[in-house]
Amino acid sequence: MLQIQGLTKQFGTVRAVDGVTLSVPPGQMVGVIGRSGAGKSTMLRLINRLEDPTEGRVLFGDLDVSALKGRGLRGWRARCAMIFQQFNLVGRLDVLGNVLLGRSYAVATPRALLKLWAEQDKAIALSALEQFDMGLLAAQRADTLSGGQQQRVAIARALVQQPDVILADEPIASLDPRNTRTVMDALRRINQELGITVLCNLHDLDIAKAYCDRLVGMAAGKVVFDGRPESLTESEAHELYGLEAGEVIDLPMPVQVPAHVASARLADRRAASAH
Amino acid sequence: MSQVLDADLQGLRARYPGVFRQSFLARYGSVVALAVGAVSVALGLWYLEFTPWRMLGGIAEMGKILTLMIPPYVDSWGRALIFLDALGETVALALLGTFGAAILALPLGLLAAKNVVANRIAHFLARRSLDTIRGVDTLIYALIWINVVGLGPFAGVLAIMTSDLGTFGKLFSEAIEAADKKPVEGVVSTGGGALHRIRFGMLPQVFPVMASQVLYYFESNTRSATIIGIVGAGGIGLHLAEQIRTLEFHQVAFIIVLILIAVAAIDWVSGKLRFAIIGRRSVALA
Ligand SMILES: Nc1ncnc2c1ncn2[C@@H]1O[C@H](COP(=O)(O)OP(=O)(O)OP(=O)(O)O)[C@@H](O)[C@H]1O
Ligand SMILES: [Mg+2]
Repeated sequence: MLQIQGLTKQFGTVRAVDGVTLSVPPGQMVGVIGRSGAGKSTMLRLINRLEDPTEGRVLFGDLDVSALKGRGLRGWRARCAMIFQQFNLVGRLDVLGNVLLGRSYAVATPRALLKLWAEQDKAIALSALEQFDMGLLAAQRADTLSGGQQQRVAIARALVQQPDVILADEPIASLDPRNTRTVMDALRRINQELGITVLCNLHDLDIAKAYCDRLVGMAAGKVVFDGRPESLTESEAHELYGLEAGEVIDLPMPVQVPAHVASARLADRRAASAH
Repeated sequence: MSQVLDADLQGLRARYPGVFRQSFLARYGSVVALAVGAVSVALGLWYLEFTPWRMLGGIAEMGKILTLMIPPYVDSWGRALIFLDALGETVALALLGTFGAAILALPLGLLAAKNVVANRIAHFLARRSLDTIRGVDTLIYALIWINVVGLGPFAGVLAIMTSDLGTFGKLFSEAIEAADKKPVEGVVSTGGGALHRIRFGMLPQVFPVMASQVLYYFESNTRSATIIGIVGAGGIGLHLAEQIRTLEFHQVAFIIVLILIAVAAIDWVSGKLRFAIIGRRSVALA
């Protein structure tokens, strides 16, 4: 059980995460939603300890994650794998090497630094790649792959960490619709077949509803919704994204375009579409 | 047309005061810079007592020496072999000095990079000591090392190594600081330690940059190595100085041609190497 208690992170005067309390039972797939700047990324980074909390703590079973240091901290990071919007692979390293980085906690440091990976580790990494149809690209340099392929490499890297939790920070935000499906299907499969808890930040509400068991809505660092996807009403969703009916009208009017410019543009567009 | 460009000047001025309010310097900056430049050149010429007569006389003298240099040739094959041998020594000197400096500079560069060593004092000390080492020219180091280890190429290697240690340390630390932090976070998030962070998060990114800097300096050091040879730190420089002293200008020209060929060859090879290291390839190297 992953427990977050009164978790707060302050950057200067901004409370990016503000007193969040949540508990996530093992094997759940949780979608974290909310508008830009709500604090979703910061929360995941606090859980993985890429950031240290200002207040509050994170518990995993009996383990007080917020108090970990040194090798203990590295061990925790290995147990809760992170997937990033920008993939965060090592571009000049080959695909297999990137996946093997997921073993960097498990393998003795000198071996890892010299890339003297054991056959066993290579086999684990290759089979992870194979699960996402990436086995044949193992020797290719990561920065030559498409976005969807890179994200699948990142998921394979997460998998070889043999994690208890996977934290995915907008894993599909830089992908096209087809790759979006592939990546979300992969996460869902990992969640269901291996029973790994998944926390996934998502911009897209429809995707979140389609794939997650539970939605957590954040606004200004606080949890403002927590429940099953079906129970999120239209008006609650609007509120989450700050698009209340009244607010739309309050938005500043677009800059007025002088009539002759507008008609010239219209003419341009007509000409272009006529081709 | 004038209608389209008929912008609301008053309104725009009010909304973007910064764009319209330009200081004197921003407006006439380049004119001022040119004037300052011209005045400093004139002052410099006056201070060094350059007169048009002296310059004309110098050019005539130079022309005379140039005619003496053509065609370049050597007295005997034995001489030519001696020169070639010395040239080899110069290249070896530059090679050992440059690569030795690069190897020693790597840890210093890491120490001086903000994103590797967060400790401000360590960072400050590393930076300042690199700057100090860098502040002294290769020639001065050559003179010092000759006193320490005696005349010969060893002093030359040490001289190039010390002076480039500072430069490489600084260049490396800047390359490391400019590295993208996404791969670094990727490595940290998997449970990697400080060494993994450097080895996989940073090194693959900065290695090509470092390698091309080192190759560039190898080429440029081949030229400096000629000069430190003149003071006795090994290599072809000594022969060059001797031929100039004895007014053997054909042989001076021969040596210069040799050096030019060597530098061009190194430039060509290192260009190929640089491209091979930086060039995008689908199979990974680092
Ligand atoms: N390292 C940092 N330094 C200063 N402020 C930060 C830092 N990281 C995040 N913030 C601030 O914290 C707030 C929450 O940011 P966060 O990235 O967690 O939002 P998010 O919900 O992930 O947004 P998005 O959907 O755009 O990714 C923002 O106001 C952001 O500016
Ligand atoms: Mg975010």
